[in-house]
Amino acid sequence: MLPSIDLRISNIIKALEQVVLPALTGRERLARDQVNLCIGHLRMIAQQWRWAAAFEAGSFQAMIALAEEMQPVVDPGYAEELAQAIASAKAVEGRDLAEVEHAIVALGGLIDRIILGEDGKVALAPAVWEAVLDYGEKQALRERTWFAATGLDPDRQELPSIAGMMAG
Amino acid sequence: MPMTLASREDVDVWDRSEMEPRIRHILERTVRLRDTGPYRPKSDAEVMAMLTGFFAAKGLEEIAISDVERMSGGASKEQFAFTLNHREDPQGERLVLRMDPLEAIAQTCRGREGEIQAIMGNHMPVAPVRWFDADGDLLGQPAVILGFVRGVTQPSEGGSGGVSGMGGRLGSLIDRLAPQYIDALATTHRFDWSRARLRFFDAPRGGGNQAAIWQVNWWSQVWWDCLVEPVPVVALAERWLRENAPVCDRPMLVHGDLRMGNFMFEEPSGKFTAVLDWELAHIGDFHEDIAWTMQKLFGAWGDDGVFLVSGLLPRDDFVTQYEAASGNRIDPVRLHYYEVLNAYKCAVMDLGQAMRASIASNNHQEVVLTWLGSAGAVFLSHIVQLIRKG
Repeated sequence: MLPSIDLRISNIIKALEQVVLPALTGRERLARDQVNLCIGHLRMIAQQWRWAAAFEAGSFQAMIALAEEMQPVVDPGYAEELAQAIASAKAVEGRDLAEVEHAIVALGGLIDRIILGEDGKVALAPAVWEAVLDYGEKQALRERTWFAATGLDPDRQELPSIAGMMAG
Repeated sequence: MPMTLASREDVDVWDRSEMEPRIRHILERTVRLRDTGPYRPKSDAEVMAMLTGFFAAKGLEEIAISDVERMSGGASKEQFAFTLNHREDPQGERLVLRMDPLEAIAQTCRGREGEIQAIMGNHMPVAPVRWFDADGDLLGQPAVILGFVRGVTQPSEGGSGGVSGMGGRLGSLIDRLAPQYIDALATTHRFDWSRARLRFFDAPRGGGNQAAIWQVNWWSQVWWDCLVEPVPVVALAERWLRENAPVCDRPMLVHGDLRMGNFMFEEPSGKFTAVLDWELAHIGDFHEDIAWTMQKLFGAWGDDGVFLVSGLLPRDDFVTQYEAASGNRIDPVRLHYYEVLNAYKCAVMDLGQAMRASIASNNHQEVVLTWLGSAGAVFLSHIVQLIRKG
């Protein structure tokens, strides 16, 4: 691929830093802030893009694993619907990012319904609480790593690199 | 596991209609107007036309709007500084227009902000409220117009802060800023709202769980109205918050976004010039403010490796000094509950409202919203830790 995605991102950052920013007057503070954030986003995208499909597929697999863990302990009223949702999710072709995102919405929607238990009318088994917390802990770590470059995470020094996480 | 609370003043924790009426109005308005976007940032000329029409409707004559300057900072409102001259004030006054884009990271009410900020100006330094247009009847979009206040929210030199004033370091100013910060918190919570004849606020009943459930219903409605992608931990947090809603003995004024990023001070004196951003203010449980300001995201690590609340004080010192100044006793169980609620609120704002506003292109700075949205998992991680701590 010529020019490569990395090269084009790098060129855009250079143009923003060396041409656009110096052209903005001191009064244009919002514009300066937004250009700086655009540069930050582009630097982050440069780290992420080659892993994006694999990252989203990993999120989807984690959600399927959560659903499978919930399956034996959910209220019987949800059991069949959850089994069907898991089967549908497993049939999704993992290389298509849009299809994966759509499947996350479908499976996640059912998981949400089970967690809320028709607004508290259906009890949530302690094992499901634990399963969701375990899943949440791992998924939050992945997402914090994915977006660590924002510098907003107060504990970002504890996080692995994106490449390290994806290799792990 | 769920804690059973029983009080004559308790409400049904799953009754989603239990919400402060003005908040419900704002959330319903947001959904109603969502599809009227996208929102385009206002030009200087558009702002001048809006303001001229507004001031004419307010009865001002010989109106001249000049030196319109777009302001940066904040993640929510579109802000412009400008100078207003009119027949009664030929010298002119520097003012700030703070108005709602179609959607922002938090959907709030300019009427509430203007009303409470005007009143609190009698108790602490705030930007003076000149006018507000709660529903945008005159300006075309809701807005508040404030007197311009000089100052900074982080040191010009040596401090480092991120987007929206988070995580700055305050250096040698700490000794001067900390007592004023504590005093502002205590003054807010001591304020007798019951005598204030508030038009835009309603108060939850004391002695029951209504204060907590009003907040859970506010933010859960935002989540479900904005849902882009399901996040199981957010749904779990909602269930936990409902099943563990504590009693609020005595509802107090809650600022809702108390952190150093919303305290403006002069340099080099370190004297506060304004407590900013009252948009999330409500009557509720003071633990909500304490838990908010204690969040890691708003603090900083001291040179000795000790975490400083809002970049000012170690947690124990903060608690001791706040209790002495306010007369309130911090209950660890309720503080824990509001730590979960605040982490939930932040996750809802970052992963719900900010994402929906960005997708709909209904803001003037989506690039900020997606940047802040990237921090959503920080709050999901906090929720897991806090619920496990039980």
